[in-house]
Amino acid sequence: MRDARTNIRDALYEEPGPITKRYTAVGTAISLAALAVLAAAVVRQFYINGQLAPRYWTIFFRWTTWRFLGQGLLGTLRAAAMAGVVTFILGFILMTGRICNYRILRLIATAIIDFVRGVPTLLFIYFFFLVLPQLGIRLDAFWKVTLPVGISACGVVAEVLRSGVNAVPIGQKEAAYSLGMRETGIFLKVVFPQAIRYVIPALISELVIVVKDTTFAYVVNFPDLMQNAKVLISNYDAMLSVYLVVAVIYILINFLLNRLSDTIAKQRPRTLAAAELKGPTA
Amino acid sequence: MGVEELLSQFGGKYAQAFRMTWRLTILAFSIALVLGVAVTVLRVSPIKPLRLFGDIYVQIFRNIPGASLLIILVYAFPYLNLVWSYFTCVLIAAGLIPSAFCSEYLMSGINTIPIGQIEAARSIGMTFTQMITKVVIPQALRASVLPLTNLLVSTMLTTAIASQVPLNPQELTGLVAYINTHAVGGVTAFFISAALYCASAVVIGRIGSLIDRKVRIRR
Repeated sequence: MRDARTNIRDALYEEPGPITKRYTAVGTAISLAALAVLAAAVVRQFYINGQLAPRYWTIFFRWTTWRFLGQGLLGTLRAAAMAGVVTFILGFILMTGRICNYRILRLIATAIIDFVRGVPTLLFIYFFFLVLPQLGIRLDAFWKVTLPVGISACGVVAEVLRSGVNAVPIGQKEAAYSLGMRETGIFLKVVFPQAIRYVIPALISELVIVVKDTTFAYVVNFPDLMQNAKVLISNYDAMLSVYLVVAVIYILINFLLNRLSDTIAKQRPRTLAAAELKGPTA
Repeated sequence: MGVEELLSQFGGKYAQAFRMTWRLTILAFSIALVLGVAVTVLRVSPIKPLRLFGDIYVQIFRNIPGASLLIILVYAFPYLNLVWSYFTCVLIAAGLIPSAFCSEYLMSGINTIPIGQIEAARSIGMTFTQMITKVVIPQALRASVLPLTNLLVSTMLTTAIASQVPLNPQELTGLVAYINTHAVGGVTAFFISAALYCASAVVIGRIGSLIDRKVRIRR
């Protein structure tokens, strides 16, 4: 009997006997060989097409390359941070609409949430990029990224916040009422501060979606990581290597954000997972 | 431009674009399901390198931005002598990303099964295959209906990346960009596409929660 079976992956299998152990060893060897062949095939494909040539990769040993990519990354992070703020504010407003006592406000908030959750970010970006100028509204490229990205994420944020508010035990509210606090005070001082702690992991996961969506910044010519990568490519004529490195940077950022979310969720077991509230993935 | 004028001029294109969006969605979602199940099998297999491969696969495709993946497939892969049509590239990108999420949902579906059930299955003498096909998979699927419904919606939203490449006919997002660069479509052009997306999402969501209510096991 093994202890600490926290993982169903391991619970599926019994303690292996000698024969199973041998099978597993053979399977491991075969799969290692298969993965090695796969990796070799990828490297070969790079090699025979000349993509391993030093000129494509030595640019990453240059300080200027990283400074330029770093500037782009800063643009991405700036846009993502602002979009995060926008989406939190909008999400908070929608959430209060969703839980308030007036039926008509609840309906409006629900309709808006369903709308923004059902429309792709790119469509919002095109709205800000192509439609608003026709109406005579001129915005900075920064806002043409952050506003649509923020708007498209706010529906999920509203639902996440609402699930947090619902998770606060009713006794908290009752206790606050019995102290003579008012409705607004109870919500802002008792319920919401607890709700936000429940949903911090889910909010961080949502930030991943925001970071991913900011890649569309090149549509409006905002100098983010993707846009700077394009400039780098035209300077060095190194399409594949630059795009791959940039993709890895994005993957790392989002991976770390997800890790952070998981770590916080594990430290505070009473947090809520966002699994059922997951919004757009791209 | 009013709705009628816009529809008389572009109505046919909207119908085509709507069909295109759905076609991409269904195909990409099928790819996502097949790959998602396959990767999940790797991730629960007893063979460590395959598990690791599955985990890395999921981390890559759940964290890569759709635009980045599509651009690599369309513009960078030809340098590796891998040239695919725009349609294929969109389909691959819009299938790979949800496949990672699909695997995550299936994994958490598997995780909702109490370990006691596995032990019970084993104690009544079920073989490994019986246990997987009769106990684990049915329950994991039942618990995954709602997440997979959301995945179908988000796959549909992901197919909007197709607007970044010339596709013929265009899908809903590309069409809005097209109309607004060729004529003054304004807000109306945007809202027709948005309404079509939303209607699809609402219909998918309703059907999903109906199925979920029927099959989910409350614990």
